[in-house]
Amino acid sequence: MRYPAVAIGAAGLVAWPWAAPPYFVFLASLVVVNAIVAIGLNLLSGYTNQLSFGHAGFLAVGAYTAAIVATRWPGVPVVVALLAAALGAALVGLLLGVPCLRLEGLYLAMATLAFGFVVVEAIVNLEWLTRGNDGLRVPTARLGPWALATDTARYYLAVLVGAAMVWAALNLVRTRTGRALLAIRESEIAAQASGVHLAKYKTLAFVISALYTGVAGGLFAFVVGFLSPDAFDVFLSVDFVAMIIVGGLGSVPGSVAGAAVLTVLNDSLAGFQNYRPLLFGALLIASMLFMPGGIASAVRRLKGG
Amino acid sequence: MRSRWALLPVALAVLAAAPARAEQGVTDAEVVLGCSNSFSGPLAFSGEQATKFGVDLYVRAVNDAGGVLGRKVRTVYYDDGYKPQEAVANTKKLVEQDGVFAIIAPQGTPPVLATLEYLEANKVPLLFPFQGSPITRARRYVFGGMTLYDRQSRMMIEYLVGQRKYRKLAALYQDDEYGKSFRAAFEKDLGRHGLKLVAAESVKRGVTDVSAPIAKLHAARPEVLFLVLTPGPGAQALRERQKIGWTEAVMVSSGPLTDERYLALAADAAEGVEGLSLWPDPLASDLPGVRLYRERMKRYFPGNEPNRYSLSGYFAAMLFAEGAKRAGRSLTREGLVVALEGIRDFESGILPPVTIGRDHETQKQGFWVRVEKRRFTPLTDWLKSE
Amino acid sequence: MTTAALVHVVVSGLATGSIYALMAISLVIIFNATRTLNFAQGEMLMVSTFVGFTVYARAKVPLVVVMLVAVVAAALLGWVIERAIIRHAIASTPFDVLIITLGLSLVLRSAAGLTWTHDEFPFPSFFGDRPITLGPVRLVPVSLGIIGASLGLMWGLWALFTHTRLGRAMRAVAQNQRAARLMGISVERVYSASWVLASVVGALAGVLIAPVIFLSSKMGLVAINGFIAAVLGGFGSMPGAVVGGMLLGVIENLAPLYLPSSIKHSVPFLVLIAILLIRPGGVLGRPARRKV
Repeated sequence: MRYPAVAIGAAGLVAWPWAAPPYFVFLASLVVVNAIVAIGLNLLSGYTNQLSFGHAGFLAVGAYTAAIVATRWPGVPVVVALLAAALGAALVGLLLGVPCLRLEGLYLAMATLAFGFVVVEAIVNLEWLTRGNDGLRVPTARLGPWALATDTARYYLAVLVGAAMVWAALNLVRTRTGRALLAIRESEIAAQASGVHLAKYKTLAFVISALYTGVAGGLFAFVVGFLSPDAFDVFLSVDFVAMIIVGGLGSVPGSVAGAAVLTVLNDSLAGFQNYRPLLFGALLIASMLFMPGGIASAVRRLKGG
Repeated sequence: MRSRWALLPVALAVLAAAPARAEQGVTDAEVVLGCSNSFSGPLAFSGEQATKFGVDLYVRAVNDAGGVLGRKVRTVYYDDGYKPQEAVANTKKLVEQDGVFAIIAPQGTPPVLATLEYLEANKVPLLFPFQGSPITRARRYVFGGMTLYDRQSRMMIEYLVGQRKYRKLAALYQDDEYGKSFRAAFEKDLGRHGLKLVAAESVKRGVTDVSAPIAKLHAARPEVLFLVLTPGPGAQALRERQKIGWTEAVMVSSGPLTDERYLALAADAAEGVEGLSLWPDPLASDLPGVRLYRERMKRYFPGNEPNRYSLSGYFAAMLFAEGAKRAGRSLTREGLVVALEGIRDFESGILPPVTIGRDHETQKQGFWVRVEKRRFTPLTDWLKSE
Repeated sequence: MTTAALVHVVVSGLATGSIYALMAISLVIIFNATRTLNFAQGEMLMVSTFVGFTVYARAKVPLVVVMLVAVVAAALLGWVIERAIIRHAIASTPFDVLIITLGLSLVLRSAAGLTWTHDEFPFPSFFGDRPITLGPVRLVPVSLGIIGASLGLMWGLWALFTHTRLGRAMRAVAQNQRAARLMGISVERVYSASWVLASVVGALAGVLIAPVIFLSSKMGLVAINGFIAAVLGGFGSMPGAVVGGMLLGVIENLAPLYLPSSIKHSVPFLVLIAILLIRPGGVLGRPARRKV
């Protein structure tokens, strides 16, 4: 029953650049980037309850890694740059995840907050590598002989990568790792009692989450074309948290929905200038009051009830 | 047969009315300008002032008088909160969805640099961005909106070292591209005199306490201390040095800092402070253009107090109108660029006569001021940098 | 660097630290009672301070009146927010409430910008800037005044918590909500009281700090340091908030003197990371470490 829906959705994604003006193709790429981050963040916060306020840091690591690789080795295939971004971010995720094992709840959130700030400071200070506050221009993504020089080309790249990440996430839930993460979400003690090695899985969640966000960061770099430390502040991290809470914790489709809704909302409010934060904030409040548990649980209630 | 001939006048009418290839953002009735700017975030105040109370102030006055060569000017603004990725999105939207003719008065080096390549590739004029990095110099479609930082630094060092013979200079600067560019420029210009900064301390934007950096700078005993900050921390620095009784050094504020808000915040602590002023006093200057600006502000936005940010936006719109007039009724982007390049000794009644050369810089001057009894008193005439 | 200069820097740090402490206290008051992190704490105090400022700008009333106006505005704001918004979200998860307070912070900051613009304003101070010289040491009234006023406020809060019924009820709810309810304590009343009290403490902190860092719509960002201070001292405990705040203020001020430029700006966060790694319970807290 779901396959026709998926097929229509896929067709829509493919046909989008033909139907929509170029700006909305660019916007769609941003939605995909945010969706990948949201999925990654949800794996960490929605499943193992490790709420992170520092994911802009992982995005930055991924973005700068991809940009620096593409600059140092011109002509490198974009896939290599994205892979480097993924690995770089995953490594950082490991370095952060291990010490965070001892922390929970608020303390963990504070640690991730601090992490986000420290990453941005590091980017500013490693001027010789990142060009610091002056900002870094990202070279055009290349795939073999082709340069992904248009919004449409980059959109297809984003959609392909995004689809792969979504598919991986959906399948992850079915594997042993996924079940372990789910078990941890329900009850850490029960999970531990059933033989789930908490430290290993919690760290794994951090690494996978960071990896996802790193890939998104690489895409972000090529889609936007310019990086600067100002792009990755704490407010961006909080935006990501808002996406998964509005979308629904612990739900992959929820993450995508939350990312799509908030990205499009943010964009459509840009013309309201100084009213934008007011309207955005009011909508966040309203959505939590009227849709507790986010879009995913609202959909579940509609379907079930 | 009758019906076929009847069609002929219709066909001729249609052919006559068919427009020549129209420039984007220009119709018979209007020309559309826009920008992505800060309406939230760290630079929200200056962003809103430069656009809604600056560019729009001039635009409303001009529209009420019939427009530019019969075309009304319409403006579209989007908020980027100083984030480069939002600036990119907003700018694409302006060019592709709103069909603007040109981008006017965006703010901040990171957001502006992020959009530079896109605008150049699409041959969209980027007019008078409110930022000081020299990267925008001598680009075909970009025209500067502020005396660039390297020129400001050169003028300041020439005056302080060359004319007033100071040898020991230090700097307190903001830890972002504004502060760091000035610091680098100071080092370079001092180097030409065989000097170095004797001390340099940075503070984060939004710092709460400047006692430590001021103490360190005090210990280095400079003759001059540069302040490259925004009004809040700038005023804090002045009050801090008053608290520790540091009177020996001359405090010199950078161009962007030399404004009335900083005076209001620092109050008595600002007495004797000097700086490079980029604009005449918006509240008190008797120059005809500035008086007109004040009258118009009172007429169109009576609750809004005149300040340098809205004055700079107002000036930007004025320059655009001048360029558009010179380009003629058949306004195209190329035509505007050529027209602006041809501007020689344009009298604005606000700044010295503007001549735009190959470097596409519209402002290359400042004048020295000292604060006396809470007002900026000019010490020199306009200093020029060529 | 002379000793006098060093003393001055440290005292200045203690003053800023006292403000951090007050902000930490207000965050902890709400968290202890309702288990909610109030993202909008900074913006709430900013708005209250602006209300006081508006009165001052219109009619040159004495500063004490300005402070009272800010306090009343804060109490009202805290009460309204709790009853009209937070109370209705009680059924939701704490994560939902987090997003609500996030939305509130955006709404408040934007509303402040629309009402008063995003400009910065000088705020009148109880204490002067001109230093008093006592022998080799130079004392600055504003720093001492802030420290003194903060300590006085903290003492008042201590008295409230230990000697009044409301205070004891708040402590009971913080310890164990269900038990408190069983003992006949109205948990809802404690929620309201916590929001009002936290809001009032915040407003007083705002009135004390606004003369130093100037009043603007972004003044609320100082609350982030309050968060850090609370964790530093041991989240959940009042003495912890005080110690954490003072410590953070002093560390922030000493860092530029002794550390290289490249890391001095990260110091608060490096300190936070260090504390979380070594002693998550904070300087004063129990060394609460999870065994994984």
